[in-house]
Amino acid sequence: MGELTYLQAISDGLRCEMRADPRVLCMGEDVGVFGGAFKVTDGFIEEFGPDRVMDTPLAESGIVGTAVGAAVVGLRPVCEMQFADFISCAFDQLVNVAGKMHYRQGLAVPITVRLPSGGGFSGGPFHSQNPEAWFMHAPGIKVVAPSTAHDAKGLLISAIRDPNPVCFLEHKYLYRRIRGEVPEPGYTTPLSARVAREGEDLVVIAYGAMVHAALEATQDIEGARIEVLDLRSLVPLDEAAILESVARCSKVVVVDEANATCAAGAQVAALIAEHAFEDLDGPVVRVASPDVPIPFSPTLEQAVLPGAERIGEACRELLAY
Amino acid sequence: MNPPEASAQATVDVTMPQMGVSVAEGTVVQWRKRVGEWVQADETICEISTDKIDTEVPAPASGRVLEILVEVEQTVPVGTVLARLATDPGEGKGAPPPEGAAPGEPAPAVTPHPARHYSPVVQRIAAEHGIDLSRVVGTGRDGRVRKQDVLAAVDRPPAVDRPPAIDRPPAIDRPLHSESPYRPETREPGPGQPAAPPPTSNGAARPAVAEPDRPERLSRMRRSIGEHMLRSLRTAAHCTTIVEADFSSIERARRALGLSYLPLVARCTIDALREFPVMNATLEGDTLTRHGDVNLGVAVSLGDEGLIVPVVHRAQELSAEGLGRAIAELGRRARAGELSPDDVRGGTFTITNPGAFGAIAATPIISQPQIAILDLEAVVKRPVVISDESGQDAIAIRPMANLCLSWDHRALDGALAAQFLSAIKRRLEGWDGG
Amino acid sequence: MATYIAEVRSQFPDAPSEFLTREDRIGLWRAMLLMRGIEQRAMTLYRQGKVPGSFYDGFGQEAVSAGAAFAMGPHDRLCVLHRDLAAHLIRGVAPTRIFGQYMGRAGGITRGRDGNVHFGDYRTGCVGMVSMLPDMMLVATGMAMAFRMRKERRCALTWCGDGSTSRGDWHEAMNWAGVQRLPVIFVLENNQYAYSTPLDKQFAVDPIKRAATYGFPGISIDGNDVEAVFEATRQARERALEGGGPTLIEATTMRMHGHAAHDDMRYVPVELIEQWRRRDPIELQERRLAEIDVDVAAVRAAVEVEIEAGVREALEMPMPDPATATEGVFAEGEAQELGDGAAPWSGFSTPLTALPADASAPAPSPVDDQETHRWAS
Repeated sequence: MGELTYLQAISDGLRCEMRADPRVLCMGEDVGVFGGAFKVTDGFIEEFGPDRVMDTPLAESGIVGTAVGAAVVGLRPVCEMQFADFISCAFDQLVNVAGKMHYRQGLAVPITVRLPSGGGFSGGPFHSQNPEAWFMHAPGIKVVAPSTAHDAKGLLISAIRDPNPVCFLEHKYLYRRIRGEVPEPGYTTPLSARVAREGEDLVVIAYGAMVHAALEATQDIEGARIEVLDLRSLVPLDEAAILESVARCSKVVVVDEANATCAAGAQVAALIAEHAFEDLDGPVVRVASPDVPIPFSPTLEQAVLPGAERIGEACRELLAY
Repeated sequence: MNPPEASAQATVDVTMPQMGVSVAEGTVVQWRKRVGEWVQADETICEISTDKIDTEVPAPASGRVLEILVEVEQTVPVGTVLARLATDPGEGKGAPPPEGAAPGEPAPAVTPHPARHYSPVVQRIAAEHGIDLSRVVGTGRDGRVRKQDVLAAVDRPPAVDRPPAIDRPPAIDRPLHSESPYRPETREPGPGQPAAPPPTSNGAARPAVAEPDRPERLSRMRRSIGEHMLRSLRTAAHCTTIVEADFSSIERARRALGLSYLPLVARCTIDALREFPVMNATLEGDTLTRHGDVNLGVAVSLGDEGLIVPVVHRAQELSAEGLGRAIAELGRRARAGELSPDDVRGGTFTITNPGAFGAIAATPIISQPQIAILDLEAVVKRPVVISDESGQDAIAIRPMANLCLSWDHRALDGALAAQFLSAIKRRLEGWDGG
Repeated sequence: MATYIAEVRSQFPDAPSEFLTREDRIGLWRAMLLMRGIEQRAMTLYRQGKVPGSFYDGFGQEAVSAGAAFAMGPHDRLCVLHRDLAAHLIRGVAPTRIFGQYMGRAGGITRGRDGNVHFGDYRTGCVGMVSMLPDMMLVATGMAMAFRMRKERRCALTWCGDGSTSRGDWHEAMNWAGVQRLPVIFVLENNQYAYSTPLDKQFAVDPIKRAATYGFPGISIDGNDVEAVFEATRQARERALEGGGPTLIEATTMRMHGHAAHDDMRYVPVELIEQWRRRDPIELQERRLAEIDVDVAAVRAAVEVEIEAGVREALEMPMPDPATATEGVFAEGEAQELGDGAAPWSGFSTPLTALPADASAPAPSPVDDQETHRWAS
């Protein structure tokens, strides 16, 4: 297929899988006739019909709850939350019904919940959140967050084929801003981490949009060779890859776009502190948004969200330590 | 009519707007205004098309179209300047928003540790390779030993400035002593010293083409040191006397005490100064003042920047170990720029110890208004003649070093200088822990 | 004290269901007997400390689950709530596994992972409930959505309580089912109290009146008449299969015990309890069977034997191995769907033969062209 944007890759993955597996359907607000708020399902209803590209009522709990019902009778629903932020309305169904079902009842719930997440464009407090940590904390839910177009397609297909509930964090900032080579047939990307750039003096651990900020920030820092590890999967977390990078580099900067307290990076930092203590040549440094709702005005938002500058500064300080 | 000076005029940019959170670019479809035309604020100036929506762009201010930068059918990223308007002076957009630091941003917490705190990975590597971390030069914050420092110690042959391990006999061509105040924290040698060869190679490759001449003004510190040196040479009648001493006893004592040579030499010198009080004096004009306390100045290299001489006050009260600690502390403070004015005043005698770089003799310049300065040069193994009780001569290999004393002939003569030096030598050679 | 009591307000049906054979009517009663017997026996075990946590029962409400479940076919799917034990029994779950479940044993249906009636043997087409009520209404709605999409002649059913009608998910489910015209049946067990909260603190408008506002019919019935419950569900199911969409069935009944075993229900007026005791669903059905000369004593005795055997076997079951506590959070490999359940109603299979005179022999399994599980052990 050649080069696709991140958004096109998501579309492509969904389309591939819907063609290959008649059990797959997508459901969400405005996904059918309108083609989705971000046009991910543009053209889908014409190909797959209104049952498989379902315009649901405005009811997030309903979307996830009915998806659970459909899944336990053999379908593979792919729910779309119009913005990741609205998953809070479906929290109960996702965490208590879907997440706990297999453990309690031995009954698998193969649903995928697509979550357009992240900020950087004056979306304001309710259209810019990164809610992955809430669901990392809930047993029984897998969480993935691709940063490249290639992984966006592959991880989405992996999520759909997984017999478990999977939260798929698609970062809105990356939708049209990054592109990459995406193979035409369907393929799965493993739920593991990926070394975005190899290095040995320091490793920056990130996911989603922050992978790109990290790569930009660490291109040329005083000749240091800085590794960037793209987590890609938050649950399961690729502990082996994290520990291997830390063993090699000994200095770590963990980046979250999400609010700092209990973000995914906090879990990564704790893991490193516990299992890689003897490999460390400095404290585990975190760069994250402060614990504030993501503000609307550009000067405030840019002050809150981490970017290449803050990541670079953290790296320079830690290198000198 | 002359065209208006660009610098005298306020301009306002018309930029490609962001029509939706995921839109990254837009295409100009039509310009409603031409260059030179007047446009009112909010009036449509052009039409654009994006992934999500086609729309009109209202002018951000009233003014005349100065230039159009993006043509029809061109696609540009969001934020690109499409056109510029010339607004009336006094009119125009407000000051751009200030670049603020992140409020309440969690600053990356990298707290500096005291210099001799070793991180887990450093300790592990050192343990695995049997490296004595106290000998490793740290290049991290506050002289902290970083992972690459201990790895470099694993990789390279022992550095010139690194003393041999306790139980390994030193190589013949390397000076034995250590902890010279001229030993650099950085790579730079002290003043008047040859540049140290890079430890990992045997002679750097010469560049094929000579570099062009580069005139540069001396730094303030360098000029200040230079002035002091010149003044000293103009004031004092400089002579230099040299005595060589056998450092065997000192070598044994040094190892036993875990000290470098300098504090032991200092202790011997202080004792000799008690014996020859005229050496512990200052001369101003015609007035010679002998001092009761020995305030021992110890020269410390500040690398490229120069040197400084902090003073150990009442050094006579300190044992060799105490002197060692005091000298190390002063050295640390000197390199960290933490010396107070009192630290460099009131010296009565100075010792300098630049032998790290292999020189065996020198003619140091006296620090005014003192009347002498002792320079301890490199300790080098030499064959020497020794006589036993029965008068039989034999050749032995001994660690020898030159004690070079520059002294002011206005205050004393060569005989006294030689006796003084011999007194130091006697104490060094007979050291028994005194 | 509550001043507003839901009365049985309809005469539905105005005649006995013509779809129930003699065996069906016995079967309905048997299911209720089994439910009550198991719950009473389990209450004793609870008081003996053999049942950890809390214990919930549906004493006095047995008809609501027995009648409704009886009308559901083997390919239909159910979300069963905590006072609906009869549904599990009708679908084919053995009493011993239910005792094991209460006692948290390895042989319980959730193998100790969840307690009391938070279970659903997915092989019988039942989804285990969660505590957040009425989350399961959306799950049932989703199942019906899949049936409609695949154009299958199947129906989903769930129960919900009067209290749960106040939560958002109730409305999302009602609205969704109505807007998509889904083959789902919502059985509202109006037992007058949500823990200690009476109806007049719960809603301003009868839920049954609200069905119309969501676009489908609601019918209010006597929840203690098992045959009325059956008939209402049967009709709703037919409507659903014909594409008529959802139905809300309000089964008015009374919660005769506390919210749970730890609740002495002192907030319920004694007269109210007395009033409803005279309308006990099991006694009601027993009277009907006696009128058609069924040997009720024999049936009771057989049920008793079955229950005792179930308890004995369950008491032998080991507790779960602690080493397995972290297993099974995620599914691996192919996802197993819900399976088909037993469907003993004569309308789904060839009629059951008469119960054997020997009350200790197990009931013969229904034979038909659809795969069903053995019912009643």
